[in-house]
Amino acid sequence: MLNYKINLIIGLLITAIIYSYLNLNIEPLKFISGISNLLIIFQEIKNIEYSLLLIALTSMMETIQMAFLGTIFGSVIAFPLSIFASRNLTNKYLYLTTRCFLAVVRTFPSILWAILFVIVVGLGPFAGVLSITLYTIGFITKLQYESIEAIDFEIINNIRSIGISKLQLIRYVIIPESAPHLLSQLLYTFDYNVRHTSIMGLVGAGGIGFYIINYIKFFEYEKALIFMLVVLVTVIIIDLLSVKIRDNYIIKIIKSKK
Amino acid sequence: MLSNLTKNNLAIDMNNVWLSYDNINYVLNGITLSIKKSINYTIIGHSGSGKSTLLKIINGLLTPSKGTIKVFGIIPDHQNRKFKNLMKNIGYIPQSLGLVKNITVLDNVLIGALTRINKIKSFFKIVPDVEIDNAQNAIKMVGLEDKTEKKVFTLSGGEKRRVAIARALVQKPILLLADEIVSELDHVTSKEIMNLIIETQHKLNLTSVMIHHDIKLALDYADMISVLQKGQKILEIGVDGNTITEFDVTKNQLAKL
Repeated sequence: MLNYKINLIIGLLITAIIYSYLNLNIEPLKFISGISNLLIIFQEIKNIEYSLLLIALTSMMETIQMAFLGTIFGSVIAFPLSIFASRNLTNKYLYLTTRCFLAVVRTFPSILWAILFVIVVGLGPFAGVLSITLYTIGFITKLQYESIEAIDFEIINNIRSIGISKLQLIRYVIIPESAPHLLSQLLYTFDYNVRHTSIMGLVGAGGIGFYIINYIKFFEYEKALIFMLVVLVTVIIIDLLSVKIRDNYIIKIIKSKK
Repeated sequence: MLSNLTKNNLAIDMNNVWLSYDNINYVLNGITLSIKKSINYTIIGHSGSGKSTLLKIINGLLTPSKGTIKVFGIIPDHQNRKFKNLMKNIGYIPQSLGLVKNITVLDNVLIGALTRINKIKSFFKIVPDVEIDNAQNAIKMVGLEDKTEKKVFTLSGGEKRRVAIARALVQKPILLLADEIVSELDHVTSKEIMNLIIETQHKLNLTSVMIHHDIKLALDYADMISVLQKGQKILEIGVDGNTITEFDVTKNQLAKL
């Protein structure tokens, strides 16, 4: 019975792979023969324009600030929402409404939200911050309500039987028990948001992406390159930093609990 | 029938209580208990005999399918305002202890006092000095004064049990319910914990209902013992000194059961 099921699943999987492969005109040979096109770009880059470094750094700073604000605003809104969305804390109607809202928020990628917000508030970083905020709400709320729902049911029940109010329960039980996860989730979200904010400029929502897309459009690759290098280095630095923070603080807490 | 006078003397009056989760299999089959005020009443039995369920019925976490129960004359029901008031003074220590691991010993103990503190103020951790004193006294009583600011997850098993006891004490309890509070502990520590409970029980003149699976422990500390088996009370005895009063057997004989 089990074998039959597994065989069926493997069969379906293989069919899906073959069908998608044919349907999408995947041609590996094209990739190999076309890779030399990339070299043409690099040949055109004769002298890197270091004079643009200052602009690149300031626009990167703007990108980081956008990601930072978006992460903060988003998570501040996400926390109460995650309490509304937890099945073990609220009634059916409230958590269903909240989850419907979350589903809508998460349906579109942040770049699409950015386009919508550019229409609403005009070009510039504000639209980007709004879209990053929305993305963060969707992401953090989901992770948070999952970690709230994972809190030991016995602890909540027992402390409720003392007769304390829901607000007190949230303050003294729910927040402390889900906070260690929150910290590492925030770090991860910020990390991710910096990368995402780098392309917000593609749709005019501010940040370093604006320069990159425009220089590429006008075939000024040597100018675009300096901006791309700044993004690369920044992302690597943030990645290293967040690994370090995670190792030194979060992992330590989780390990000592066992 | 018990007269009204003796009824008023009862902390818990349980009459023919049945409980089932699925209406087919009964976890409790017609339990009748009369627990007098200010005594240590201990329930023993194998796992699956319905001990923990009985305790949860007493503090209203579960409602009996059939039969009646009154705790200090009030039906345990979390929707009932009178019982909600009583709940504040029932110290319940479940087997899992129900402590919040990521906050300090002091904060855990303060949870027991939260029902007396303004909701909004306590949300911002504004706690009256009186309550902090109360909590610190309870911590001192259980001998953890040098661990007040330690996070609970750093404590040992015995220390965690002391925190749970301190939290129950801060509730200013009139009834203490403890589910296998000394199981999984070594002999010396469990004696310490039990002595601590009996000592505070006498000091505060409170009623306690405890669950053990070790009959020797029950014999050493309880005033009354009942034995549960498959959801039925098969034996109830009063312990007085070295002999069991209501049955003519000695402790040693009972220990061989």
